[in-house]
Amino acid sequence: MLVADLASTFHYLFVANGLYTFALCAGAAAVYLLLPRPNPYPALWGAVSSGLSLVLLGWQMVRPGSLAPEPILFYSFSVLAILGGGFLITQRNPARAALAFALVVLSSCGLFLLLAAPFLMAATIIIYAGAIIVTFLFVLMLAQQEGPSDADQRSREPLLATIAGFALLGVLLFTLSENFGTDNLRSLLDRIQAAQAKETAEEMARALGDSDREEQLFFDGFEKTIRAGGRSSEIQNLAGEVFNVRLRWNPAKQARDIEKMRTALAEFEAIALQTAALFGQLEPRGHWPLSHFSGPASNQTRDAFRRENGVPRMPAENTAYLGRSLFTDYLLAIELSGTLLLVAMIGAIAIAYRRPGRAP
Amino acid sequence: MTPVPLLHYLTVGAILFALGLIGFLARRNMILMFLSAEMMLQGVGVNLVAFARFRGNLQGQAFTLFIVTVAACEAAIALALILILYRTKRSLDVSLWQELREPGQDPTVDEEPLPPEPKEVPSPTLTPSGVEPLQPKETSHV
Repeated sequence: MLVADLASTFHYLFVANGLYTFALCAGAAAVYLLLPRPNPYPALWGAVSSGLSLVLLGWQMVRPGSLAPEPILFYSFSVLAILGGGFLITQRNPARAALAFALVVLSSCGLFLLLAAPFLMAATIIIYAGAIIVTFLFVLMLAQQEGPSDADQRSREPLLATIAGFALLGVLLFTLSENFGTDNLRSLLDRIQAAQAKETAEEMARALGDSDREEQLFFDGFEKTIRAGGRSSEIQNLAGEVFNVRLRWNPAKQARDIEKMRTALAEFEAIALQTAALFGQLEPRGHWPLSHFSGPASNQTRDAFRRENGVPRMPAENTAYLGRSLFTDYLLAIELSGTLLLVAMIGAIAIAYRRPGRAP
Repeated sequence: MTPVPLLHYLTVGAILFALGLIGFLARRNMILMFLSAEMMLQGVGVNLVAFARFRGNLQGQAFTLFIVTVAACEAAIALALILILYRTKRSLDVSLWQELREPGQDPTVDEEPLPPEPKEVPSPTLTPSGVEPLQPKETSHV
């Protein structure tokens, strides 16, 4: 039992997802090599390693053929953010590290804008840019040490820190891809669409699998992939629907009736598309009257709000709607956070105040 | 046109979070540790806004706004604390505070010596000039 578990883990890590594992290891090596130490490794090794890791991760995740503006902007902003984060933790010069942090903030603000959150983008730029300037001044004021210093030229346990960080990242990516990964579903969808494009009934009957056994495997995989999408009743119903449509597909296939086969394939496609839209969704529970001020309540099914490609509509006046949400659903929280700001300001003044006649 | 899947936004958030964690654990400059913590908050913010987009409501954006508020408070307090710690030890190195460790733990000792200070290159100066040549007095020819 233990051996079988170990073997399947090994297979998952190094055979099925070998490139992901390799990309993570290359990233860990890059961070380890680049972290500051008194006798640094050549910077070229770290640069090559980090480039390799980014290229491998991109190779795995980016789907070719999508040259729309949104994916291009998304991938450039995310690469900038990741590179900025790498510079932030590996720079010896604290002033440069603060500038790298500004890069991280600006590119994640670009991601906010792509995610239909313009107010949040502006607020983050203003607040973080202000904080950055203050921090930057502190760095310049305080860290005017001549020559190399312990604080900047050494790392605390670089190997253990890198292993901890990348182990966490690996676990996070594993969990995310189990819950939100739609790659399997997409390859199944591609096969269904390829079958729809066939001209003759004979070809279409063979498109999902040459023999009956292969077709059985295809449908088993289809159902399993749908069921992996979550425990919500909508998804489980969709998985059952596959069986119902097969009851129509099989006789049509036997009779080589191309029109009925087309209809069944279209139904399979609709099931796959609906599943992709629902992937990772929580079970909507009960019908309590929850607040609608922040968009559809969490116990509503969101079919009414979804467009055909699976992303819901958002209101165009982001600021007005965010304000309505903050001053209805989150009224108490916003009052408390105002109080928190006041308390933090008083606390900061009280801590940093230099009392006359006392040591620091 | 297919939109960018939710998984990719979540991946970017996870990578920012992990890099911030490494920075917080490995760096010894207190200001850089603080910046790494802020980068972890940015990763969480990207996550929440992506969920808000893909679920079609504003709850994630409202949460991120509160995160930004708390981060501003944190920046104020953290900079005040860093200031007072710097005044005590005259350095931003967090390892100087290792007397606060648990009893029974060995202190960390830096064995490798720091690299030698780079020699200051003298800034170029002009060679001293000689005696200023006499100018002929300006006369009018009117």
